[in-house]
Amino acid sequence: MTPMEMASFPILTAILASTIVGLLVIVFIPDGRDKLIKQVSLAFSAVGLALSVWVYLTYDVQKGGLQFVERYLWVKGLGIYWFNAVDGINAPMLLLTAVVLFTGVLTMWELEVRVKEFFAFMFLLVAGVYGVFMSMDLFWIFVWYDVSLFPMYPLIAIWGGTRKEYGGMKLTLYLLAGSALILPGIIYLWVQGGAGTFDLFELQRIGFTPQVQRVAFIMLYLGFGILAGVWPFHTWSPVGHVAAPTAVSMIHAGVLMKLGAYGILRLGMTLCPEGLGYWSELMALLATVGIVYGAFVGLAQTDLKYVIGYSSVSHMGIVGLGLSTMTVNGINGAVFQMFAHGVMTALLFSSVGYIYDKTHTKMIPELGGLSRTMPVASAFFIIAAFAGIGVPFMASFWAELLVFISAVKTYPVRGILAVSGLVVSALFMLRVVQKTFYGEKNEKWEHIPDVPLFLATPRIILVGTILFFGMFPRVMLDVIQSAVIPFVAGLSV
Amino acid sequence: MMSLLKDPVLLAAALGTSLPFLSMAVILVFTRQNQRLSATISVGSVSVSLLSSLYLLITLYGAGAPVQYEFPWLLADDIVIPFGYLLDPLSLLMLTIVAVISFLVQVYSIGYMSGDPGFSRYYAFQSLFAWAMMSMVIAPSMLQLFIFWELVGLASYLLIGFYYEKWSASQAGKKAFVMTRLGDIGFFLGLIILVLGFGDLSIVRMNEAGQGHQIPQYLITISALLIFGGVMGKSAQFPLLTWLPDAMEGPTPVSALLHSATMVAAGVYMFSRIFPFYSMSPEAMALALAIGTVTMLLSSTMAMATYDLKQVWAYSTVSQLGFMVMGLAAGGYFAGVFHLTTHAGFKALLFLCSGIFIHEYHTNDFRIIGQQGGRKLMIPMVCMTVGALALSGIFPFSGFFSKEAILGVLANHPNKLWLGAGLVGALMTAYYTFRLIFFMLFPRGVAAAHGVHDAKGSGHGHDDHEGEHHGYIFWTMAVPVMILAGISVVLGFSQSSLESFLMGHGSVPAQLAASGGEGHAAAHDGHGIGHYALLIGAVTMALGGIFWAFMEFGRKGATQEGFLRAFPVVERLFAARWYMDAFLRAFLDKVIYSGLTNVFTRNDRRVIDGGIDGICFFTVAGGRLLSFLQSGMLQYNLLVMIVAVGFVVLYFLLA
Repeated sequence: MTPMEMASFPILTAILASTIVGLLVIVFIPDGRDKLIKQVSLAFSAVGLALSVWVYLTYDVQKGGLQFVERYLWVKGLGIYWFNAVDGINAPMLLLTAVVLFTGVLTMWELEVRVKEFFAFMFLLVAGVYGVFMSMDLFWIFVWYDVSLFPMYPLIAIWGGTRKEYGGMKLTLYLLAGSALILPGIIYLWVQGGAGTFDLFELQRIGFTPQVQRVAFIMLYLGFGILAGVWPFHTWSPVGHVAAPTAVSMIHAGVLMKLGAYGILRLGMTLCPEGLGYWSELMALLATVGIVYGAFVGLAQTDLKYVIGYSSVSHMGIVGLGLSTMTVNGINGAVFQMFAHGVMTALLFSSVGYIYDKTHTKMIPELGGLSRTMPVASAFFIIAAFAGIGVPFMASFWAELLVFISAVKTYPVRGILAVSGLVVSALFMLRVVQKTFYGEKNEKWEHIPDVPLFLATPRIILVGTILFFGMFPRVMLDVIQSAVIPFVAGLSV
Repeated sequence: MMSLLKDPVLLAAALGTSLPFLSMAVILVFTRQNQRLSATISVGSVSVSLLSSLYLLITLYGAGAPVQYEFPWLLADDIVIPFGYLLDPLSLLMLTIVAVISFLVQVYSIGYMSGDPGFSRYYAFQSLFAWAMMSMVIAPSMLQLFIFWELVGLASYLLIGFYYEKWSASQAGKKAFVMTRLGDIGFFLGLIILVLGFGDLSIVRMNEAGQGHQIPQYLITISALLIFGGVMGKSAQFPLLTWLPDAMEGPTPVSALLHSATMVAAGVYMFSRIFPFYSMSPEAMALALAIGTVTMLLSSTMAMATYDLKQVWAYSTVSQLGFMVMGLAAGGYFAGVFHLTTHAGFKALLFLCSGIFIHEYHTNDFRIIGQQGGRKLMIPMVCMTVGALALSGIFPFSGFFSKEAILGVLANHPNKLWLGAGLVGALMTAYYTFRLIFFMLFPRGVAAAHGVHDAKGSGHGHDDHEGEHHGYIFWTMAVPVMILAGISVVLGFSQSSLESFLMGHGSVPAQLAASGGEGHAAAHDGHGIGHYALLIGAVTMALGGIFWAFMEFGRKGATQEGFLRAFPVVERLFAARWYMDAFLRAFLDKVIYSGLTNVFTRNDRRVIDGGIDGICFFTVAGGRLLSFLQSGMLQYNLLVMIVAVGFVVLYFLLA
């Protein structure tokens, strides 16, 4: 491990604090002051966004390694550290979380039901997400992970839509099942390590026996894989997306699913490289099935949010495929895809959110011809759909390119199958665009105003992010690569 | 930035290709409400592109070696993706074609699209296309070419579906995107295999290495075959050809620019771009030759059975693209590129003329246009006839020279079958082209139809249009058409200068000859007796086709039914595009929708979800079972067990 320099100012803790302090402030604002609550939420999410952008921009790519390190011993007997740091892999994830939270708050600007509780839960959820992404201590990763899971059920069951209780319950049960695999995995590693530490990098240096790695890896892979929507443990995710309110869907598909993939990468692959080697064939297989299968099932959906849900299954398969190649470009692409898909899917849900708010339906057959009545609102969805298809100059194009090149090299048959899935994903995205936005003007929606500038802000930010990283992929990739190259070098040792 | 200002060539290349992008962004974000300003910005930027490309052509006309610029765009481990410009004769020629026709079409559209509510959007998409297409043309690496190739596809999708309220238009856009995407998968995989096997996608180095036998033969063949998938999609080769006639749903200027002159020619362009590489694989060349031939013949037959003005030109575009592929695949580098050039001119001409008729008469049926007096519109009628003569390959119009060049290449091929196919194609082309022309020139049943349309105010409308003929709307449409007609008349005579330009120093074939490859392309243009025999044969075929059409549709007392009327089965076959669409529809419905999609969806609901619910059921049932056991109610135990076992059986059956 590269020598660490402790940060002079605990900027990562500050990012985390922006959500927790925000949460406390929201709780103490009297009921009924909805406007104030929203403004406070926006302000605190803006602080998080500003700090994350700062971290991202000042991260020194040349130096690489861990930066902005904060490491203090917390519980001596168990070896638990308050250990936060940033490298090329989680810097983009923090940025993603901040962007999605900020735009999510803006997207929910018109919320009227139990505003205070909603934003409080949302900040709690995001606190957990930030925590998982920045922590380098296994104990804390698990704690933050559970913190992020807990608010999901109330958020869905109270503010949700279609089959909200079923969706919320299903999601919660699945994720708790995942958690039930992760916890034993972590404890198993802690015990096997025998050094009495939860520090990720100290554990990494121990070097577990292949047998231990195999067992631990599959537990972590399945546990986090459930969250990442790995086939066949994906069915919670479309149902959950559909049931959740807009901003929660955004955070959920945009960030939370990345948490799963990040966990596989950060815990599973870092601590159990040999376990990864042992299980990588399976990972590649499940990922490929997910890519193709998700696209096909997406073809049959009639609910806009289900379509996005299945597209997420398909796109998260690309992340899994990239990770399973164990090559620099595969993992580069996978991390890039995590970011790109997060932004893209947040944009999709955000756009659907506006449409649903105004038309009170998200069933494709009932919609149609929306481009005529709300051209700008439609354009956002269409742009996101193109990002999903993998059109060049959109961030996900580069990610997919890198993953597919590596996948065809490592697993030719599965790689070619996955690439062929692109046709189906184009078909199902365009089908949705056509049926929802094109066609005759629909009398029913004629009265609906196009999205006003203020409400369009979150979508403009997201579109801007997609296009910026699509045009200047190096801004993202150079950062990711600074961590991935040493990481892969470590795998082969 | 400094190097940009110091080097006028780089400045011209950068400015010419990227201004349309800025224009698109400005129109979409700021000037959507102001139609006039949007058109000004777009036409202004494409004029700069035109000037830049002409400047580049003139400056680099005699340049010895290709000029290349590369900047790193993405660095990912061992993969380097540069962004840059490759300026060699081929790309300069194509750049000029694209710029000229884009410019003319954008000017023409000021008139054609005037009053359309989506006017600004139209110009934004036109700018998007111009940017993508020109950046694709001067791409120095196959990956950059592929990236802009995809963007060109996006522009095509958006422009085909421009009238998105029309279901058929959005359907056509979707079909075009997905069908070309299907071919692009092959293209993409071919590139990936090349990256992995050879490690460099620079066009120049690929060609050199291919010629220099530095790439294993099997790798060339596999990647060339896969890359040809891209050509099949973009240039509408069999079996991915039916999207192109459907793409006629777009506005007519779009059909002229994208779906005849430039975008669909991108496949052929890409083929010629890597021609030295591609020609190293005889298998791939043979396949391309066969596909090109089949495409050409099939689509010619389809053109004989339609009464839709634009459809005829669309089928003819497909068939001419097939003809270009034949020329290239038979080893005729110059012949293929030359036909691409002339075809771009006269096919854009034909479409733009048709656009004037469609704008005037609000119908695509050329019988009705003829009956309503289409021939009275002198300028488009004359220009369209010029285009038709060029398409049929009549001296001295441009098509004559380029068709002759391709037939010459085919004649040198050891297998004379291809030459025969080419000649049959020439016959059919002349026949269907003049079938249309004669319908419009010598309409039947004028009186009857006239009455009907008079009642509908056609006479009144005509008065309106009389005014229009002197207005800017008519002239913005007529002037580009006349320019293109002029080009179609003179372009053929530039054959030798074009040939020396394309085959000269620094060109692809020059490197090809220098490296001692199979550069016999230049040797095809022998002027022996065989050549004259071929010349006479080809002209006879073309004239024969016109005469045949005249006998059936033109002369006094002609029935205007055509010989196909005697064979209804055949006519139906042609009109239904050899049932290719029906097959595709059935495939989509049976295999994709009710096949895989359905199976996977049911699997999701029944097996995966069912499995989870099953686990829950077992948990609950297990609890019950235990409690019942304690209470000793055996019949309940049995019942629960049977249900449980039944569930297990059901689970496996469904799985």
